[in-house]
Amino acid sequence: MKNKLTYAVLALLALSVTFTGCEEDEDPQPQNPTTAELTFHLHTLVGNNSVAYGTTYQTASGRSFNISDFQYYLSNIVLIKSDGSELPLTGKVILARPTQTAYSLGEVPAGNYLGFKFIMGLDSATNHMDPTTYPAGNPLAIQTPSVHWAWSSGYIFMKVEGMVDTTLAANGPLDLEYFYHVGMDMFKRNIDFSTDAFTVTGGVKHEIGIEFDLLDVLANVDMRTENETHTMNNMPLAMKIANNWPSSFTLE
Amino acid sequence: MNRNSNKALVQSPVPFHFKRGLGIGLIITLLFSLGSCKRDHDMPDFGNEPIELNIPKGFPYPSIPADNQPTRNRVELGKRLFFDPILSRDSTISCSSCHHVDKSFTDGLQFSFGIDSNRTTRNSMTILNSAYQPNMFWDGGVPNLEQQVLAPIESHLEMDFDANKVVARLKVHPEYPTLFRNAYKLDPSVYTLTRAIACYERTLYTGRSRFDDYQYYNISSALSASEQRGMTLFFGERAECFHCHGEYNFTDYSFKNNGVYLNYVDSGRARITTLSTDVGKFKVPSLRNVGRTAPYMHDGSIATLEEVIDHYNSGGQPHPNKSRLVQPLNLTVQEKQDLVNFLRALSDR
Repeated sequence: MKNKLTYAVLALLALSVTFTGCEEDEDPQPQNPTTAELTFHLHTLVGNNSVAYGTTYQTASGRSFNISDFQYYLSNIVLIKSDGSELPLTGKVILARPTQTAYSLGEVPAGNYLGFKFIMGLDSATNHMDPTTYPAGNPLAIQTPSVHWAWSSGYIFMKVEGMVDTTLAANGPLDLEYFYHVGMDMFKRNIDFSTDAFTVTGGVKHEIGIEFDLLDVLANVDMRTENETHTMNNMPLAMKIANNWPSSFTLE
Repeated sequence: MNRNSNKALVQSPVPFHFKRGLGIGLIITLLFSLGSCKRDHDMPDFGNEPIELNIPKGFPYPSIPADNQPTRNRVELGKRLFFDPILSRDSTISCSSCHHVDKSFTDGLQFSFGIDSNRTTRNSMTILNSAYQPNMFWDGGVPNLEQQVLAPIESHLEMDFDANKVVARLKVHPEYPTLFRNAYKLDPSVYTLTRAIACYERTLYTGRSRFDDYQYYNISSALSASEQRGMTLFFGERAECFHCHGEYNFTDYSFKNNGVYLNYVDSGRARITTLSTDVGKFKVPSLRNVGRTAPYMHDGSIATLEEVIDHYNSGGQPHPNKSRLVQPLNLTVQEKQDLVNFLRALSDR
């Protein structure tokens, strides 16, 4: 008896769901959506070229190099609303790679924004979290190849590796592996686009195009002689690179 | 009583409660063979209730992360992983390759061998009593045992592998997935892998030497006259060893430059902090079992305890960061021998 009743209730429920489902199909969106998805469209470049692993590029001075790994962290993204107040996208961390351009920031309120800003790297709290506690797929989980220093427990904010021609005349083969692994709390850098206004229309996905150019990152770096920093073992080079980050980002 | 089972755990690669486990295992085997999948039928299940660690007398109970309280299944899983070369790229090196049970969890070498006959740049430290370490390695670069697990896996000079690829191997292994679920109710992951090995390491202690017999068990005959003279020197203001090598674990866990070199190839603690005032500073190691953990210093550059005492007696090299506690001691030949004899009395019986 009880069972029959349960079935009847379930059947009714199923019917009602089906009906409301049909109604929703006729009107899938609220009349005036008040939010929209915001996306960073990140282009990782060497000069005018998109980064592709294995391709040979030239530095500004004509020295050849290639890239086998390029990863960098963006975090602490803050939108500046029209009244000047800040809307932090709390917890949003991007691990950018040349193989991916679109990075969703989630739904944000529709409206006019004066601009935005973010951190190249991670804040110190996030930087010293235990990476093993994040599920696979999270930008802060242990990656392959890794962007976390297992021996000093901090994240590598920017990792670029490949081969470079170190001949004096810059006319030889790619003969040396270079490593630019830059991290540590002191090297996070503020990237400021707080006066680059944009408008988000409700229900319409909005894309912010950003370029990050390795030639700007290495603007005053001589790859022949300055080709290795794991940060702590070569602080001057790490600092030089970190100081170049703000001028390496431009809006498309 | 408890101490005995602890000892067995430390010294034997066979599960320490094998016999009890056999009984429980039989029952579980029966249960599984009645209704469960074939794969699980011979997996040992030692139980997953929290257990209390067997801590040497006079030692505090270590602080343990809330998410990694010890259970028998966790400890056994970690122990199996510790001895399994599956962690290294070419499956030739396990944790135990550089931390031998019979060498007080060191390897007796100046530098350890990684895969492809690579050599490390520092001397293998003991894992015994590591539950008390406030940070890991000679330079303290990693905050706890769990995160420490990643470093040898990823080091190019050691296992030269990738934690995610270790996990991929574990996931397709015929036995590990069940063992992980029995221990953590989770599949193999970087999280559970690091937890399990740390959980095993927290069961490894040294704390029953002839010195302990003398000091904590009031057996006055446990130390010879020479060893007692050495002990007086050790804890006295003349040799001053105890300032850094004090308390139950014979270390204060600080970082010190002890004047081994005028110029350090390995910057030590400065590798982590980048501070020039940290150059040449290394973790003060525990002296328990020191008679079995030769060679000595961060780079294994001093072969014998006699030479270690000679080093401290000389006052060391005048490095600007050298601890002011390291000064010429003017010890007699007999006093040096007494100190060495006392240090040898710190080995587990």
